[in-house]
Amino acid sequence: MWGSILRISIAKLWTRPRAALCRLGWTTLLTAILAGAVPKFAWAQLSAAPRPVPILTGSAGYFTVKDNGETELVPEVIPVVLLPLGDRWLVEARGEFKGEFARREDTGNYGGQVENELDYLQVDYIANSHLTVTAGRFLTPFGMYNERIYPIWIRDLQLVPLIFSIGTGSSDGIMFRGGFALNSKVNLNYATYFSTLSTVNKFESDRTTGGRVGLFFTGPRIEVGGSFQKELQEDRKNSFGFHFAWQPTPLPLNLRAEYARSVYGSGYWVEGAYRLGQIPHWNKVMRKTEFVARMQQTFAGEEQPEGDDEYNLPRSNVQQPDFGLNYYIKDGLKVSGSYSRWLGRRNWNTWTIGIAYRFAIPLGRAE
Amino acid sequence: MRSKLILSVLVLAVACSVYAASSPKKDKAGEAVVTTQDNSEDLRLEGEKRFRANCGRCHAAPHKFPPRMMATIVRHMRVRATITDEDMRLVLLYMTQ
Repeated sequence: MWGSILRISIAKLWTRPRAALCRLGWTTLLTAILAGAVPKFAWAQLSAAPRPVPILTGSAGYFTVKDNGETELVPEVIPVVLLPLGDRWLVEARGEFKGEFARREDTGNYGGQVENELDYLQVDYIANSHLTVTAGRFLTPFGMYNERIYPIWIRDLQLVPLIFSIGTGSSDGIMFRGGFALNSKVNLNYATYFSTLSTVNKFESDRTTGGRVGLFFTGPRIEVGGSFQKELQEDRKNSFGFHFAWQPTPLPLNLRAEYARSVYGSGYWVEGAYRLGQIPHWNKVMRKTEFVARMQQTFAGEEQPEGDDEYNLPRSNVQQPDFGLNYYIKDGLKVSGSYSRWLGRRNWNTWTIGIAYRFAIPLGRAE
Repeated sequence: MRSKLILSVLVLAVACSVYAASSPKKDKAGEAVVTTQDNSEDLRLEGEKRFRANCGRCHAAPHKFPPRMMATIVRHMRVRATITDEDMRLVLLYMTQ
């Protein structure tokens, strides 16, 4: 049946290309999903694995930020709920509750609002070893920071990069993602999505499409990748970016870099995080201590619309070096401090100090 | 134009997946891992290697949770980190032993 559909679709490519392409696309999609439903060797192995249990995980933190002389207290809780269903399904959600309390001029007391966001609420279907279909609200796959490094217990510096807002955030729609080995030395990972326009409270998203492709070279432990996003509304803007990550085998060093460009501006950041475990003195302390340095630069583009905080980019060219120190007290618990220097039309310092904790609680019998 | 763009992106993703799923080279590699490395220590070492290659790029190894919790976390990370089924199984083995 699929063969005849394919033949007819290919034949019609010359007469009705749009309809034929649609038919070909959906045929390929259905074939892929059905092919994934065939039990394979790998899935037989999975049956021996322990049955997953729903869990509540996430992170909590408390940071003090002194930005240009003004002190802000920032407590935050970021719960993640994971609900596995059967062998192939996963429902996952992440919320974000973040307070930003500054000293009031009238009373002198700290006060402010608690922002709450729904970062994702998605259903994942693991179609086969190399394809997962995700529907719902998900983190937009653009660059590597948004999806991988954003949680406060993972990020090395608490201040997000200046270009973070380009192409990232959350999207409502459908996503296809996965990875596979091209050969014994190179793995490819991909994610592609379509997002619909939504103005529903907590589910805001733009009508966009895009994707990300990355190549991981297993020998030198280098990843390079690129991302693209096309807005399908208003000015139909394009954004694109590249990312790079390297963990040299002989060193406890983590190097990362990203470049991103949109009509409102562009920029890059380069970050290195080094665990001091190689220092022979005070090794018990040093191996839990990490030094971080990041350099970032942004270039202003077209003027951003007033009140549009989607692109929260600096409105003039900025350079910003950041330095940080992390001390990992125990698994999932760390104390962080950082210093940043904003170098733009005006210059100022930003200091942060705080603590971040990652928790995980089973919502059922875990043994 | 718009629908063609969306369609092209989706078809590209699915084509990649179909190619990978049907690749005999990959399946053989998967079989080889399990059939030849029946030694659990070898599997654990391979799991550690896969952990460092996939998970260790973003965060340090967490302490080991109970097996059923670990199974959920690894499934979550499989989606998030776009790791393969084979990697997921080996990482799960490593994290539960």
